[in-house]
Amino acid sequence: MTALEELTRQADTLTNPYIERWKEKGGKIVGYYCTHIPEEIIHAAGMLPYVMRATGSTSSELGDLYTSHLSCTFCRHSLDQAMRGEYKFLDGLVALNSCDHITRMFDAWRYDKVDLPGSPFYLRLLSIPFTVDAPAVEWMTGEFDKFKRSVEEHFQVTVTDEALRRSISTYNEKRRLLKSLYELRKTEVPPVTGAEILRVLIASTSMPVEEFNQLLKQMLDELGGRDGFSDYRARLLLAGGELEDPAYVELIEELGGLVVTDLLCFGVRAFWDLVDEDSEPIAALARRYLERISCPRMVDYPRRDKFIKDLVKDFKVDGIILQRLKYCDNWGCESPMIQWEARKDGTPCLILEREHLMSAMGQMRTRVQAFLETIER
Amino acid sequence: MAENYQLHRGLYELVKGVPQSEGNLMADWLGGVFSAVDEGRPIVYNQFTIFSELMVALDVQPLCPELWSVVSVAADKYACCESIDAAQEVGISPELCSVDKTLIGDIMLDKMPPPGMLMLPTFPCDNAKIGYQVVAHLTGAPIYFLDCPYWMDDEEAMDYWVNQYKGLISFLEEHSGKKMDYDRLKEVTEESNRCIDYWLEGIELLKTKPLPMNGPFAAGFMPGLTSLGRPTATAAVKASLDTLKARLAKGETAVPEEKVRVVWFYYPVFWDGGLSRWMAEMGAVIPVGLIGYYPAEPIDTSTPESIIRGLARRSLETPMGRQGRGPSDIWIEDCLNAVEQWQGDCVILAANPGCKWLRGMYGLFRDICRERRIPVMVWEVDFLDPRITSEEESRTRIGQFLDTVMER
Repeated sequence: MTALEELTRQADTLTNPYIERWKEKGGKIVGYYCTHIPEEIIHAAGMLPYVMRATGSTSSELGDLYTSHLSCTFCRHSLDQAMRGEYKFLDGLVALNSCDHITRMFDAWRYDKVDLPGSPFYLRLLSIPFTVDAPAVEWMTGEFDKFKRSVEEHFQVTVTDEALRRSISTYNEKRRLLKSLYELRKTEVPPVTGAEILRVLIASTSMPVEEFNQLLKQMLDELGGRDGFSDYRARLLLAGGELEDPAYVELIEELGGLVVTDLLCFGVRAFWDLVDEDSEPIAALARRYLERISCPRMVDYPRRDKFIKDLVKDFKVDGIILQRLKYCDNWGCESPMIQWEARKDGTPCLILEREHLMSAMGQMRTRVQAFLETIER
Repeated sequence: MAENYQLHRGLYELVKGVPQSEGNLMADWLGGVFSAVDEGRPIVYNQFTIFSELMVALDVQPLCPELWSVVSVAADKYACCESIDAAQEVGISPELCSVDKTLIGDIMLDKMPPPGMLMLPTFPCDNAKIGYQVVAHLTGAPIYFLDCPYWMDDEEAMDYWVNQYKGLISFLEEHSGKKMDYDRLKEVTEESNRCIDYWLEGIELLKTKPLPMNGPFAAGFMPGLTSLGRPTATAAVKASLDTLKARLAKGETAVPEEKVRVVWFYYPVFWDGGLSRWMAEMGAVIPVGLIGYYPAEPIDTSTPESIIRGLARRSLETPMGRQGRGPSDIWIEDCLNAVEQWQGDCVILAANPGCKWLRGMYGLFRDICRERRIPVMVWEVDFLDPRITSEEESRTRIGQFLDTVMER
């Protein structure tokens, strides 16, 4: 089995053999929502950070009891899974004030509406600024420091600066490797599809980082000998919020669009910016996690606008597809702003609304087909 | 350019001669807005959780966009529909709160004077944060966000928040070209303290059973949005308080026979001004509402620092700001407190489709109310768009609920 095959299959299930082995060895796992959570702190505490997904969920029947029909379906499904005990492999959960949907879902966790393992469960919501400036960085530093101390206290471990530096270095390595992978996508004949990349990104948050890095290095070597994809109709940038279903990207690519870059949670937002390895670790983490390229949760749209324009240029993008989860107000308003700006620059842009479960695929197929026809090379 | 605001101009003409309380507040505010428009002075959009004291002290004209929309539908129940549709037509999410869709649409259709600057905190919801950014994008106006920690549970968080408030003063100074006069701010804050004292006294009197008066104290603290810190605001609230006291002294009650006390812990249905009167005919009164629930504390005006700190602290307690800046606990506890203190028999929640933050906590609230045997009614109705749920449907559902409560 190639490294690509090994990595990409981890996206199909909530857990995987790596997680099972980790647990068998007595390892602890802390789940987290959103890419503002410093996984290095969890890692430096000797635990496995795991990005929360709702993979495999087929219903939100239970989750709906403590959300509403106007809550985003990712949150409804994820809460449903929590209530059904699907996350019992976790020893803790960290979230932040990401958006109205996540905070309300987290309240259901706080109010003990979910089915958790018996031992004391670590539960924390970080208060992360919405703005990016010096006071916000200072606040974030304090918040990360409190987070670190609470992890130490709850799990009875010590997180040393030395351990943090090692973790930062390891995660930076992951980020550099992923950037190398993205570099390959800038070519005329990219050796990987967007769907494969999404799978790899999911794997990057669902297994020990050291093993992931090893496999990714191997994969990069293997890709050198792989025939690239040249029969695409258009090079696409895929943007939007939480997207964890590779089938969604596969559908776009089946129609001839090749996703060559993105602005996704399981995408550039997770790894694009590095942590400064020469600064005091907590402060460096705070700066990186606040200043990194963000989603519309942060009130800094002009930064994202510029970043998208740079991606379009660097990856020779022919068109942008913005996918947004229904009821997400942040993407619901930022998407048209991006579209207005893209049109000014002559970059075609399509906005697609979606639910967590793949639905209305016929309609999506028609819209993507029509979009590709308008921009076909 | 003024001809584009005819609805509000007309309303201004109507209310400027009204001699008492709320009418005067409205006239004072709209008059100020139109003077600024006509004289080309910048207008400051103050989101509804930012009260007016700083703007009054700096002598810049506030325009609370949410209030502008409320005024629209109070005058014509379908007034916001065109703007809502316009926003959706350019791609704004249909699920966005109708207040923010109206704001965006009003700007696109030139139905609201454009902002010289915008300011809002990072609460209570995603709608406002992103909606105001769209307006800033469309108009090019500078925008200031007061970043609020999610957990306001220690002095560190309060210090951070106070610094955000100081940043707001700098922002206002920079973009208005005016310098804050702290003696003037002291006067304004003292006036604000007086006004709020009257307000709190009024709210307290509404705990009386049977209720002496349905009306302004439960319906919302409008002075905060328009002119808090000006004598006109204080006079308006005092006039309402005097009326309330007089009714109490005479033993007058809101309805001949009070059958149900409703805690209305959300916004009113702004386009349906007759709803509370209709409920009153059934013997149902509303002693407390979310937007009248304002547990403000007096501000120490001894130093500029104490004033700013006091204003910042009080700004965390604004209706809906207080409940929307953190975990569900605050709204739930406030609502339960309202039931207890104002002797509520039930809770009615007009569930605006845009309010995901509030809708997401109803499940937890429902469980608690079941334990405590508090009847709760939640029905979906858009507070600015009458096309979502009709007046008739609302009345049918509320009527059935009230009948059930009365039978208990």
